[in-house]
Amino acid sequence: MRALTANRLIDGEVVFWKAGEWVERFADADLFEAGDPRAEAAEAHGKNQPTVVVEPYLIDLIESEGLWAPVSYRERIRALGPSNLPHGKQTEGGAAIAALLHAHGGARSKGRVDLIKRK
Amino acid sequence: MPTHISLRDGVFGLAEDPFTTVSDDWAIPQGDVIVSLTRFDSEGDRLLAEGRKVGVRLEAGEDVEALTYDLPRISVVALVFPKFGDGRAYSYARLLRDRYGFKGEIRAVGDVLREQAGFMVRCGFDTFEPADGSTPEVWAQAAQRFRHVYQRGSDVRTPAFAERQP
Amino acid sequence: MYQYDAIDRDMLADRSAEFRGQVARRLAGELNEDQFKPLRLRNGLYLQLHAYMLRIAVPYGSLNPAQLRKLAWIARTYDKGYGHFTTRTNLQLHWIKLRDAPDIMDHLASVDMHAIQTSGNCVRNVSADPYAGATSEEVDDPRVWAEAIRQWSTVHPEFSYLPRKFKIAVTAAPKDRTAAKTHDIGLNLKRARDGALGFEVMVGGGLGRSPYIAPTIRQFLPASRLFSYLEAILRVYNRHGRRDNIHKARIKVLVATLGRDEFAHQVEAEWEKIGAAVDLPDDELARIRGAFTPNSFETLPPRSEALEAARAATPAFARFARNNLKPHKVPGYGIVEISLKAIGETPGDATSEQMEVVADLAERFGQNDIRVTHEQNLVLPHVKLDDVPTVWAALAEAGLATPNMNLVSDIIACPGLDYCALANARAISIAQNIAKTFADPDRAEKVGELKVKISGCINACGHHHVGHIGILGVDKKGEEFYQLTLGGSAAEDAAVGQALGPALPHDKVAEAVDTLVDVYLRERQDGERFLDTFRRTGVTPFKEAVYADAH
Repeated sequence: MRALTANRLIDGEVVFWKAGEWVERFADADLFEAGDPRAEAAEAHGKNQPTVVVEPYLIDLIESEGLWAPVSYRERIRALGPSNLPHGKQTEGGAAIAALLHAHGGARSKGRVDLIKRK
Repeated sequence: MPTHISLRDGVFGLAEDPFTTVSDDWAIPQGDVIVSLTRFDSEGDRLLAEGRKVGVRLEAGEDVEALTYDLPRISVVALVFPKFGDGRAYSYARLLRDRYGFKGEIRAVGDVLREQAGFMVRCGFDTFEPADGSTPEVWAQAAQRFRHVYQRGSDVRTPAFAERQP
Repeated sequence: MYQYDAIDRDMLADRSAEFRGQVARRLAGELNEDQFKPLRLRNGLYLQLHAYMLRIAVPYGSLNPAQLRKLAWIARTYDKGYGHFTTRTNLQLHWIKLRDAPDIMDHLASVDMHAIQTSGNCVRNVSADPYAGATSEEVDDPRVWAEAIRQWSTVHPEFSYLPRKFKIAVTAAPKDRTAAKTHDIGLNLKRARDGALGFEVMVGGGLGRSPYIAPTIRQFLPASRLFSYLEAILRVYNRHGRRDNIHKARIKVLVATLGRDEFAHQVEAEWEKIGAAVDLPDDELARIRGAFTPNSFETLPPRSEALEAARAATPAFARFARNNLKPHKVPGYGIVEISLKAIGETPGDATSEQMEVVADLAERFGQNDIRVTHEQNLVLPHVKLDDVPTVWAALAEAGLATPNMNLVSDIIACPGLDYCALANARAISIAQNIAKTFADPDRAEKVGELKVKISGCINACGHHHVGHIGILGVDKKGEEFYQLTLGGSAAEDAAVGQALGPALPHDKVAEAVDTLVDVYLRERQDGERFLDTFRRTGVTPFKEAVYADAH
């Protein structure tokens, strides 16, 4: 399963793709089955919105407590907020946040790294 | 004739470019030309003997010192910015002006954006081929963004420490 | 504090206006992200994991109360009410919105502050000894030179697009509190036998992927020739530093490749051609010196009865005075170190309220002077010894009186994976775990000086290479692991640490540090610091203890 994420240009907020819009909660994100071409179509659409979001990219998800969570720890921190202070999206609480907090391991996200490394 | 931005007597304007920049695998056309350092080394004497004006295109990483002997005969040194962030040409321009006394045209070519305008002018560039479509007005505004400068450059501006003299 | 004049203020106003225009062009789509990124970075604005991060320059770590109050206000108004002081003595705000950034620049400019060149391949914020003007060890005030370098490097026409970032530190005392030898240029002010002022010039230090301790390329540069010499160094680097590989682009690689002698030779040859005409005129240096607000010290006895009485009556104060109060050049005064390393908190973080408390104390008791250290703490450099008990009580109430300067819980840590887009692993949580392991202040004092430095990735913002114990976060198949190094130092005896062994998982790091400390306590001979013992025994006993379970 995959989801599409980006940071919003105007404020840097972490956002996720949902039915043609960008939403702030990971729990609201559209989920794409592996091989679903709508994922790439959404990514292409996002890349055509340079004044709305910065560099959208697809992330891989795993199942966690019956819900979905990003595979990579970095992406879970993006979806939750920092672990040292309750200043991010984790303050909302609930089952969706708990699933993110309890998800384990996996490969790290390359999306942001590629963006940063690109000259 | 193509145009570029030219700084003459403190004024930025649009000027026609009489020079043709010739890459190494082209035949040399009629008229004034800008050639690579390699080609200048092999064909410069002949071209100058033909009575035309000759400029040299210096890539980032080529030694500006290679030009010092011929500078009095050269009309233009075109310094290449291979990337916006490659700042070697600033040092080359300053050396051409301050150390080797070059009075001809120093031209900025390549990845040339208005954000560099102030730095270029201060290092002694006087001709600009912007890659971002800047007009002379936009270029002038960008080059004159700062009312003061802290350092002595290769231009005529008075540094802050001299402005501060009572 | 250096007092800005109209020219300095115009520079900030012009820069702010330029930045506002660039943001507008980006929002309107006239600039794409690739074009905008280098422009915003030159103004300290990064896009990180959760939001934009603004890195505000604190030139040579020097602040006045109005500036610190403004930072507190900006953090409260535009961020989440706190900021993070960094190893470059800057302040980072981690929850900034792009749309607010131009206004923030204007607010900063209103108190003579900015974010100019806090990122990008240019000369970054210049650092200096946080005890400048307060320690009797110094031969001159390094802030004067640091301010002159700040002005010289601001929007420099030739050296604003270098191969890579460029950091300069100025110190004037034998005890190095700036980590000068880990800088691209470290300048150590000295006096010759005849009293003439000059610099020992060290070039090519740096951390990151390949750490180097800067070699000295000139033992004594006459102080009046500083700027022509800097121009020579920067020109050699700008022309010949590598631009084809970002990991080999720092000047340290050029110096290491050419060798110190050949690099020095090229600099000297260039310097000779430049000549003295480009040096800063003496009268401008005198003007800058004069623009620093002079201190007014009273004539006081060296011993303060009030201080001694408080020491005797209050053990907690006595501990604070033992660890956080340092000698001042004037009798009856002291240098008060304010730890931003409360046990279990984020190293280097201060809330807006804490910033305001420090600003108030500086105003009432500290000659309006505040310093930021590269070890992510604050300093009140001029406090009357009689006032130290009062200052301590106010700090304690604000959670700022942790008596742990230079102890094991006085940890440097970068923001790591909790905030930073470059990080591979968290750094803050490791620092919190170690600090909690050594929460007992008696034990921490018994251990003595021990510098723990943590980076969340190889870029080494947490200076792990030069920690007595260095900790580097790495990513092993998506899990956070940590490589430990021992024996590094950022001080005058600078050294790069030596690897301990295989990386450890997140939950084992604090335990390993505990084990390392036990080995040290077992092995140490009279008066030895952790670093001294390590240098005597080598890595073996430490390695054996930490990896004992694996055998």
